[in-house]
Amino acid sequence: MNTKNKIITFLFCLLLVAGLYFYFGFYNHAYVDIDNVATEIKMSSGELTSKYILNEESANSIYRGKVIELEGIVKEISFLNNRNTVLLHGDDKYSSVICDMQADQTEEVKKLVPGQKIQIKGICKGFLKDAILLNCMLINTQINE
Amino acid sequence: MNKIIVLLLILTNFTDVKVKSDQVITRQGQASFFSYTSVENIEAKNNQVLSIIDLSKNKIAVSMLMNAFVFKKSLMHEHFNESYIESDLYPKATFEGEIIDFDPLATGVQVKIIKGDLTIHGITKEVDIKTTIENNNGKYLLTGDFEATVKDFDIKIPPILAPNIAKTISITFRFEYQPYEK
Repeated sequence: MNTKNKIITFLFCLLLVAGLYFYFGFYNHAYVDIDNVATEIKMSSGELTSKYILNEESANSIYRGKVIELEGIVKEISFLNNRNTVLLHGDDKYSSVICDMQADQTEEVKKLVPGQKIQIKGICKGFLKDAILLNCMLINTQINE
Repeated sequence: MNKIIVLLLILTNFTDVKVKSDQVITRQGQASFFSYTSVENIEAKNNQVLSIIDLSKNKIAVSMLMNAFVFKKSLMHEHFNESYIESDLYPKATFEGEIIDFDPLATGVQVKIIKGDLTIHGITKEVDIKTTIENNNGKYLLTGDFEATVKDFDIKIPPILAPNIAKTISITFRFEYQPYEK
């Protein structure tokens, strides 16, 4: 009986530790920092939108969920709804790439100007009227002081 | 007879032109949903909602990518996309409806019912959404909230996670429109 109790207590503790480990180590895990993940595809913002306009389904199968490095011209900078968003010119004047910037990019984003050529790295989520990239950061970009 | 046809053609052509200039758009609308239970509260936001209002017909269309919802924890995001919403199969949620008794020319605030079809997880339901519409010299702001029942959209939640997710999810939205230049 005593041994049985010990085993039960031991198993219970093990379960608790495993549970805590799981909860803190895994469940509470925040989002990836885009800086720490490798780029999978490099292209221009115009190329990305044109691929989507041509065939959304096939473009999704290539780009959706991928870490993409885009080169493009700034169309607009927006701080709507407390987000830092950079819109890059697309292939035509109707479409663009919406880049939702990571929180640590605020200062850099404020210094961008429309017409500037920049490079952005982010995760492609798909296409509505524009291609959408989340968790974005500026890369290899000269900031105007 | 021929004259009538020509006249009709001209008329439809004109209305077409008029329609195009009467649209407003947002590409960065915000939609959030909340699930409150005693176990945990879950909140997610999508800041890239697309919506167009056709002011001449009082019609509104909304579209959003399900995988662009941002959660506090990445595991919630994963469960939501892979198990519940199945965003690989159903990447978008859409809404198409009509703003009842809406006067696009009236400035200031008006509260209207939007009646239409909401499609989530491939399932379409008719909903009525009470919406506050603010017209600030042609800049329209739509805000509101409504509730959706998880079961209505055939979203299956495993029994072990059932206490963590509310049966009814509250959804809020905030869309700021700009003239749509075609």
